[in-house]
Amino acid sequence: MPTNLQGGEYDVVGQKRFVWPSFALPGVLWLVALFLVPFYAIFAVAMGQPDPVFNRPQPEWNPFYWDTAVFAEVVGDLFGGQLGVIALRTVGYVFIASLLCVLIGYPVAYFVSRKTGRWRWLWLLLILAPFWINYLMRMMSWVNLLSPDGQVNQFLAAVGVANLPDWLSGYHFVVILGLVYGYIPFFILPLFAALDRIDEATLEASRDLGAGSFSTFWRVTLPLSKNGVLGGLVIIMLPMFGDYYTPTLLSGSPRTRMLGNTIDQFINQTTSQGAVGAALTIVLMVFVAGLMLYYLRTINQATREARE
Amino acid sequence: MVYHPRQNWNPDPRKRIYTRRDFISRAGALGIAIPLMPSLLAACADREQDAAADLAIGTPAAPVQQPLFEDNQAIASGLEPEAGPLRVYNWADYINPEIIPVAEEALGVDIEVTTFFNEEEAISKMSSGEVSFDVWFPTSQRIPVAVTGSLIQPLNLDYIPNLATYVWPSLADPYYDLGSRYSVPYVVYSTGIGWRTDMVDSADIEGQANPYDVFWNEKYKGTMGLLDSFTDTIPMALFRNGVKDPSRATEEELQAAGDALIELIDLMGVRYTIDGAYVGIPEGRFGLHMAWSGDLINSQYYWPEGSDISVTRYNWPGNSPGSTVNGMISNDTMTVPKNAERPVLAHNFINFMLDEANSLENFGWLGYQPPQVGLDTDTLVADEWVPDFLAPAIVGPDDFAGDSVWVQGPLDPATEKAWSDQWNRATSGG
Repeated sequence: MPTNLQGGEYDVVGQKRFVWPSFALPGVLWLVALFLVPFYAIFAVAMGQPDPVFNRPQPEWNPFYWDTAVFAEVVGDLFGGQLGVIALRTVGYVFIASLLCVLIGYPVAYFVSRKTGRWRWLWLLLILAPFWINYLMRMMSWVNLLSPDGQVNQFLAAVGVANLPDWLSGYHFVVILGLVYGYIPFFILPLFAALDRIDEATLEASRDLGAGSFSTFWRVTLPLSKNGVLGGLVIIMLPMFGDYYTPTLLSGSPRTRMLGNTIDQFINQTTSQGAVGAALTIVLMVFVAGLMLYYLRTINQATREARE
Repeated sequence: MVYHPRQNWNPDPRKRIYTRRDFISRAGALGIAIPLMPSLLAACADREQDAAADLAIGTPAAPVQQPLFEDNQAIASGLEPEAGPLRVYNWADYINPEIIPVAEEALGVDIEVTTFFNEEEAISKMSSGEVSFDVWFPTSQRIPVAVTGSLIQPLNLDYIPNLATYVWPSLADPYYDLGSRYSVPYVVYSTGIGWRTDMVDSADIEGQANPYDVFWNEKYKGTMGLLDSFTDTIPMALFRNGVKDPSRATEEELQAAGDALIELIDLMGVRYTIDGAYVGIPEGRFGLHMAWSGDLINSQYYWPEGSDISVTRYNWPGNSPGSTVNGMISNDTMTVPKNAERPVLAHNFINFMLDEANSLENFGWLGYQPPQVGLDTDTLVADEWVPDFLAPAIVGPDDFAGDSVWVQGPLDPATEKAWSDQWNRATSGG
C-alpha cells in the first residue's frame, strides 16, 4: 500500500480518486474547444452547401443533411486526378526533406549532446537561434540569396561558373532545401534531449562488454534515441504536409505546388468552393493521423518495454 | 415591397423555411427510419436547395440600378456627425497612412483602420454580423451581393457633394450601381502586361494584334510570370484565345484556356505570383509579368538604388493600338455597412476621400488611381505623379466603355467551379 509523506495510507477508493484525473481537465477542455469543435466545423463545411446569397460554404451541422458529393469528388480526384499528382509530390517532398533532416540533424544533435563539453551552451544557443526569427523571414532571406543576381550566383560568377541558373524558377530541390532549412531546428532539439538523457553508464557498459564505438552507437545509442528521432519527425512532418508558403516563396511554379497551396486556393481564392478545401483538409488530416498513430504505437511499445 | 432574399434564408437550419419534401425527410430522420440510416442519408442528399438569390449585375453595356429595401434605409439629411472613433475596414496597405491623420483632423475624430486579407474573409466577417465597421472598401463586383445580402446601406448623397464635383461622370453613376445608391468609386485599375525593356522587346507586345501572345513567346522562357489569381488569369487565357466575354465562355473554350495555361509550364517555365510585377520585375526575377496597372506605378519604389527605372513598361490590351483582344478593367468602392454605428461620420469620411487634393495625396502612396476628373494622363505625367514611360498604366474614363473592355461580375458557383477546375489543372504541374 503506498504511503503519503506523513506516513499515512492513501485513501485510494475515497475522494482522492478524482483529484489526479481532474488535473487533465484543462487539457481536455482545451482539446475539445480548440480541436474537436473546429474539426467538426471543417467536417460540416465539407459536407455542406453554399448559401444562396453569398455563395459561401455553409457548415451543415446536422449529419442527416450531409452531402458527400464534394468529398467523393475530392477522393476520386486524389486517386488518378490532378489532386493525386499534387498529393504524390507533397508526400515525396516531405519524405525526402525528413530524410535529409535525419541525415543532417542526427550528427548535429549527437555532437552537441556528447562532444561539446563546456561549450555546449553556445552550441545550444546556435541551434535555438533560428527559433527567434520568423519562418517567413528565414525564407525571405533565401529568396535574396538565390535570386538571379543574389549572393549565391555572385559567388558562382566569381569562381567562374557560366550559365548561372535562376534558382527560384521552380526546382524541386530548392523547395526541399527550403523545407529542410526551415524545419531542421525543430528536429534537432527533441533529438538532442533524447540523446542527452541516455545514461553514460550504458555506453560504458557496452564498451566494457567489448563493443567498439560503431557497435556501441548501432546497438545502444541509436535504439535508445529512436523515440527522439520519431518525435522529431512528427514535429517536422506535420507542418511540412500543410506547408504552402515555402513553395510559394522559393518557386511559384506549378511544378512545385503542394497540397497546402491547393487548400489555400480553394479556401482563400474562391467564394463557393470552400467545401472542396475543407474536404481536402480532412483527407490530409486522416493521412497524417495514420502517421501519428504509428508514432504513438511505437512510443507505447517502447514505454512498455522500458517498464518490463 | 421587394421580398428580401435574406428573409427566406437563414444560416441556422432550424429557422429556414422548409418545403414539404424537407419536412418529410426530417420527420423520417426523427422517428421512422433510424434503422434505415443508409437509405435515409441517400434521400437527404437530394434535399431541395434554397433558391439562389437574384442579383442585379450590371455591365457597361447594360447598367443596373441596385434595389432598395424597406428595412434598409439611407440616413436622413442634415444630421450631426456622431462621436468617434470612425472604424474603417479596408484591404491591407490600401490607404495612405499619412492621409489618416489629415482625415482625423478634418473630421475631428480618431480613425481606426482594420484590414482584411481578401474579400472572402471580409464578406465572411461582415455577413456574420459580429463585426461593425463604418466604412468598407469592397470591389465593384461585390456590390450586388452586398446589397442583396444586406451588408451595406444606401448612401445619402447630400453628405457626399464631392462625388458630383470631382469623380468621372461615368463612375459617379456607375454601371454596377446606377445613381450611386450604395457605393462611390475608390480607385480604378486595369489588368494587363508589365515588362522591362532590357529583358523583353517591346515590339513583341506594343502594336501587336494579340499582346497576350507574349506570355507564350519562348524567347522569354524562365523570366515570365502570371498573377496567382484565377479570377484574373483564367479570363486572360480566354482573351488570348479570342473569347470576348469570359463569363459566357463555353466548356470547350474553358478547356482550351486551361490547356493554354498548362502549355506554359514546359514552354515558358511559368511562375504564379502576386508580387512578381511590382517586386519581381525591379529585382530582375521577372522580365515579364501579368500585372494590375497600379503594380507598375508602385514598382518604381522597389528598384535597388541607382537603377534605371525607365525600362519599366505597361500595356493594357483593352486599349493598346492595334489590339484585337479584350482587356479587363475594374474598380474598388467605398460603402457604409448596414450595421455601421457612425453612418453620418462615415459619409463625411467618404466625402473627404473624394476631394481632389486628398485623393491625390492618397494616390501618391497607393499607386492605384482615383477616378478624378482633374487627374488625367496629362496632368498626372506633367506633375510627375506618374513617369511618362508608365503613362499606359493610367486609366481613363473612356477605358470603361467600348467593345474591347470586359468588367468582371460576381461568379455564380457553377462558373466559379468550372474556372477553378481549369485553374487546378493548370497549376498542378502534372
